[in-house]
Amino acid sequence: MMSLLEDQFWFSAALALVIFGAMMTAVAYCIYFERKISAWMQDRKGPNRVGPLGLLQPLADGGKFLLKEDIIPANVDKPLFVLAPAIAFGLGMIGFVVLPWGGRVDVDGDGAVDVIAQVADPGIGLLYLLGIGGLAVYAVVLGGWANNNKYAFFAAMRSTAQMLSYEIPMGLAILVIVLMTGSLRLEAIVLSQLGGGNVWNIVHHPLAFLILLTTLFAETNRTPFDLAEAEQELIGGYHTEYSALKFGLFFLGEYAHMITGSGLIVVMFLGGWHLPWVPGLRPEDVSIGAMVLKMSVLGLKIAAFLFLFMWVRWTLPRFRFDQLMRLSWKGMLPVALALVCYTTWLVYVGRATDIRWTLGGNAVLMAVVLVISGVLGSPITGRQAHMPAVRMFASRPAR
Amino acid sequence: MNHWPTLVYGLFAMGALGVYCLLPRAERSMRAAGAVLGAAALAGFLVLFARYAVSPQGSGVVFLVSGAIAIAAAVKVITHERPVYSALYFVLVVLAITPLLILQSAEFAAAALVIIYAGAILVTYVFVIMLAQQSGAAHYDRQSREPFIAVLAGFLTTAVVAAGIMELPVPAGGDPTAMGGEGPSNTEVIGRVLMADYSAALEIAGVLLLIAMIGAVVISRKRVPTEDVVESRTPGMIGREVPPY
Repeated sequence: MMSLLEDQFWFSAALALVIFGAMMTAVAYCIYFERKISAWMQDRKGPNRVGPLGLLQPLADGGKFLLKEDIIPANVDKPLFVLAPAIAFGLGMIGFVVLPWGGRVDVDGDGAVDVIAQVADPGIGLLYLLGIGGLAVYAVVLGGWANNNKYAFFAAMRSTAQMLSYEIPMGLAILVIVLMTGSLRLEAIVLSQLGGGNVWNIVHHPLAFLILLTTLFAETNRTPFDLAEAEQELIGGYHTEYSALKFGLFFLGEYAHMITGSGLIVVMFLGGWHLPWVPGLRPEDVSIGAMVLKMSVLGLKIAAFLFLFMWVRWTLPRFRFDQLMRLSWKGMLPVALALVCYTTWLVYVGRATDIRWTLGGNAVLMAVVLVISGVLGSPITGRQAHMPAVRMFASRPAR
Repeated sequence: MNHWPTLVYGLFAMGALGVYCLLPRAERSMRAAGAVLGAAALAGFLVLFARYAVSPQGSGVVFLVSGAIAIAAAVKVITHERPVYSALYFVLVVLAITPLLILQSAEFAAAALVIIYAGAILVTYVFVIMLAQQSGAAHYDRQSREPFIAVLAGFLTTAVVAAGIMELPVPAGGDPTAMGGEGPSNTEVIGRVLMADYSAALEIAGVLLLIAMIGAVVISRKRVPTEDVVESRTPGMIGREVPPY
């Protein structure tokens, strides 16, 4: 059995199975924790009837999803109606394969590194994740259109415009790190952040980290960017007409997307499986135990980000649509572009990993942004004070 | 080996006939016959290339399967009566071509294809079609205008390309397992080539895109009449005269 695991193919297969199972469980318990955390923030108790502390609630929810009547309304475009949740769930579940879970591993303990604890390590790891993010738009578009409901289609329209707009600053923020590291492989990005006096990328480029974090909220359609699910205006969003397990698949896809997105940000900016000053987490530690330790560290970091996602959801109100667009195109895009240009210059002069230059540049850029926003006199997301309200029919005489 | 070209061209003719039957038309439908003919031509190609399926790591099987999916989906793009489905089959074509590129160790091109084509351009297509056509298929979707000439032109071009390919020796092909290996990666090589050998073309393409973007902004931008403008006009004329910005 162990000798089989020395082969990367079988190791990858085993790892994929283990992580898939862990992700399914995590996704189910994400919903539980979402409810518990919201209850805690709103001074309620939350789910507490099924099992101790309500811990069996996800099982009950899953059973309910399975056993409820699966309604396909009349007048829907049936093939696409069925396809949309499948896309949402499927894409959510294949993103994790390029995340570096535990560095290099020596399975049989003979001192030679056998496998890499990653399901696949293609040269385009980051682009793979971006491609999946790009395809995820289809689930929303098709879901919103196929169910033949105007409000759902409005939601899909908003959501698509939002996802396409936020992919641009997201790509630029990722580009900053790619320029610095010189690789699209996630394992290489992790390794570039540790050892030899290196620090995590968040210290180098806090602005890029902020931009990536913000765009991830938008990409996963979470508050404050959940305009697609604005209940007051759009009933329930693009999945209004869905019921039973099809609705559940949209949910599972969203949480899986959150987990993969958190994994991406942890790997790119927070050193992946690395913790400073902790023994056993160096790249040279290749035993099975070290791998388990590294995987737990990465899992804990991802869990911290999931908590952040939920914390923000139950704290911040939702953006208006024009605010959302303005934040992306007038706020984050120029900052990200400036950052990319600056980092390119740093690479050219050979100081891309010099913390005085990277962090200093970020600080200067932040100061410039603050000065500009001070001169403009109004926040980029607010209603502009000098713009009078549009009153199209102000002078129409009363009938 | 001598009757190899005859077989290939025969299969092309069969496929052309199948596509011709499959194209939407107003009078009597020959779709069933077209589907049978097209499937038979595709199966013929699969049998013809079956000996390439035996290759290390199953790359031949991947090639044949994704190639067949790509061809079938491409036929669906031009024969489906509903434009939304046509656009979605286009997405399927793009996704089916991706494995072929990866098999050639061109993983950067594969990723770029998915991100740019499937993730951005085709989403816009799908979206525009969904917004423009809410109900029912239009006349020009239900009936193709010149099915015979279109099929002839398309398949003649393909046959010419195929004739060129048959002249070539069978290539060894890229090693799909070399992706994570040593040496400069595919992405690095593309970057170097683009920046060193084709930098002028790259710059021109960039400027062209910039011009297109500025043009789009100029076209789409209208000045929303504010309060003082509204006051000075008669109610019915508001928004009628938009000065060029």
